[in-house]
Amino acid sequence: MRDGVHKEVVRPNVVLVTLMAATLVAWLGLDAVSVAPNRIVPGRGHAAGEIAGAAGLVASLLPMLAVIGLAWRPSPGRRRLALGLVVAMLAALPAWLALAAARLVDPALPQARLGIGAGVWVSLFLLLLALIELRTRLALSRPLGWALLLVPAASLALCLRLGLAPLALRREYAGRSEQFLAAIGEHLLLVGGAVGLSLLVGVALALAMRRWPRARELGFAVLNFLQTIPSLALFGLLLAPLAWLAAEVEWLAALGVSGIGWAPALLALVGYSLLPMVRNTYVALDEVDPGVVDAARGMGMSPGQVFRQVRLPLALPVILEGIRITTVQAIGLTAVAALIGAGGLGTFVFQGLGQAAMDLVLLGALPILVMALAADALLGALTDLLRPGGAT
Amino acid sequence: MIELIHVTKRFGATTAVDDISLRVEPGELCVLVGTSGCGKSTTLRMINRLIEHSDGEIHIDGQQIRAFREEALRRRMGYAIQSTGLFPHWTVARNIGLVPRLLKWPTPRVRERVEELMALLGLPPAEFADKYPRQLSGGQAQRVGVARALAADPDILLMDEPFGALDPITRETLQEELRALQARLGKTIVFVTHDMDEALRLADRLVVMDQGRIRQQGHPLTLLREPADDFVASLLGGEDRGLKEAALLPVSERMLPLSPRLLPRERVAQTATLREALAIMLWRHAERLTVVDDEDIPIGELSLRRLVGARAND
Repeated sequence: MRDGVHKEVVRPNVVLVTLMAATLVAWLGLDAVSVAPNRIVPGRGHAAGEIAGAAGLVASLLPMLAVIGLAWRPSPGRRRLALGLVVAMLAALPAWLALAAARLVDPALPQARLGIGAGVWVSLFLLLLALIELRTRLALSRPLGWALLLVPAASLALCLRLGLAPLALRREYAGRSEQFLAAIGEHLLLVGGAVGLSLLVGVALALAMRRWPRARELGFAVLNFLQTIPSLALFGLLLAPLAWLAAEVEWLAALGVSGIGWAPALLALVGYSLLPMVRNTYVALDEVDPGVVDAARGMGMSPGQVFRQVRLPLALPVILEGIRITTVQAIGLTAVAALIGAGGLGTFVFQGLGQAAMDLVLLGALPILVMALAADALLGALTDLLRPGGAT
Repeated sequence: MIELIHVTKRFGATTAVDDISLRVEPGELCVLVGTSGCGKSTTLRMINRLIEHSDGEIHIDGQQIRAFREEALRRRMGYAIQSTGLFPHWTVARNIGLVPRLLKWPTPRVRERVEELMALLGLPPAEFADKYPRQLSGGQAQRVGVARALAADPDILLMDEPFGALDPITRETLQEELRALQARLGKTIVFVTHDMDEALRLADRLVVMDQGRIRQQGHPLTLLREPADDFVASLLGGEDRGLKEAALLPVSERMLPLSPRLLPRERVAQTATLREALAIMLWRHAERLTVVDDEDIPIGELSLRRLVGARAND
């Protein structure tokens, strides 16, 4: 009888098992790194086994197999152990690169460079997914999940200090460190400006639409239309009017407004940002429980008090959600703005594409990715923070 | 005192409230009852100007409500609604202290008042003050709603189906508590409901509304015994009115004072309703009950014949 009560079916964590098996296959089957004698010549791929030898390869497979074993009959303790192993594997990736740099790159060739291969990229991606899966299963908070990434980040920093000089990304960076920092600055400035402006205009538009319901459909139609114009086309469309404005209005020209450059980029970015901003703000304000608003008015709150103390705080998480979407979208779109001379990290991407130098493309693309993820995480955390009463 | 004089409300072409006159005396609990769409909620919301009336006059303590600023008028009245309308982002204590803070009471006085009210409504401050509405059960949330309505000690309380979303047991408990609270505090209450049992249980004055008009108003017993027309009679329960009346009358009303005869075995409290006494008779297969007082001392006898009101000399 007791058996009937206590019998527990422990199912394998299929997600984790699959992820780890895929990591194993990628690690074994794909090139971990590539080595090229200089920037022009395409590199030659090397599998993980060539970096550390057969024994090293087998040793590297052990934690993956262990995680599969742990995931087969999961329990909280086993999940924690698996999480530790996943973090350790992430932290080991930079060490593999350092090892590869030491063993495979000929020190006699000053231009020789080490490219990160598909094996490492795919493993990185899969291991991060495994980390997220385990964090969710263990119900760890988001900040704690991010804190776990500090370990691999520290490992990367250490390896960069000690011996990753031939890393291709680093070589590209070394020649452009000042440009790189300036590009990050421009990128952030454009994104910040676009999000800030669209927040101001977006909230104003949303409020106007609430006040004059007739304006609503027209407003959303225009914003939807804006969203459908391809970004390059929008830049092109803005070229003529802005050039004309700069020619006619002196102080605008003095400000640096012209047909190309930051001005059309900013305008286009604001145009694209408006739809998610207005939509979220409008919906957020509109969907506050009518009972709550009725009570607020019935208790004797003035319209201003109802808005400031009730409607706005209750809408804030959804409005922040709009800011989050807008920010992430603007970070990506700003890369395209490099084409019209607005600067930013997109510059490297397009330069790299022009020179067929994939590492230069990566130098632009990776920080954009990190920026987007960071903005997403930070604003997500802020949203959670602003939900004290847990308005569902 | 609340007085409505020939009040009408029109929304475009439709007339929601049609020329009603109503007077709620101080300390009276007036229940507006009717089917949905009969205009009872509209009537309530006109009193605190959430809806502006189209014609007629509404007076509070002899003054036209339009003489007050809207917000000032509402802060003088408690307001409780079915969905509670508690602010989900505020704690229980902050929710209850809303109107006193709007009235700019000093903070210590607000805190004191909040704790007093929480105690009054059976919500220990230590346990509930810092909770958020979503952490409360339906009954607890509605208590907080009532506490918030009472916060600034208003003379008038407007309640729009406050117990409508609760389960029957919680609803009955809160109805009893509201009656007890009313007996202690003597507020003037306008209470809207579509639940006739709730209306009969609570009302000093029962106002039956239909299609924007008042069909009949008066004491619940008067309406039960002398319904003005078939509509009122059927809304009050048709043949069921006998039981509903029995639920309003105490046993002491019909009992025979103690006689020297042998006392029946089954007992009933003198404060119980006739309906409860009847239930005991049915359940125990007894035609006669001994009536006892608070200390369980026999003071009389109730027979089935007396209970049903037949004039018999038993």
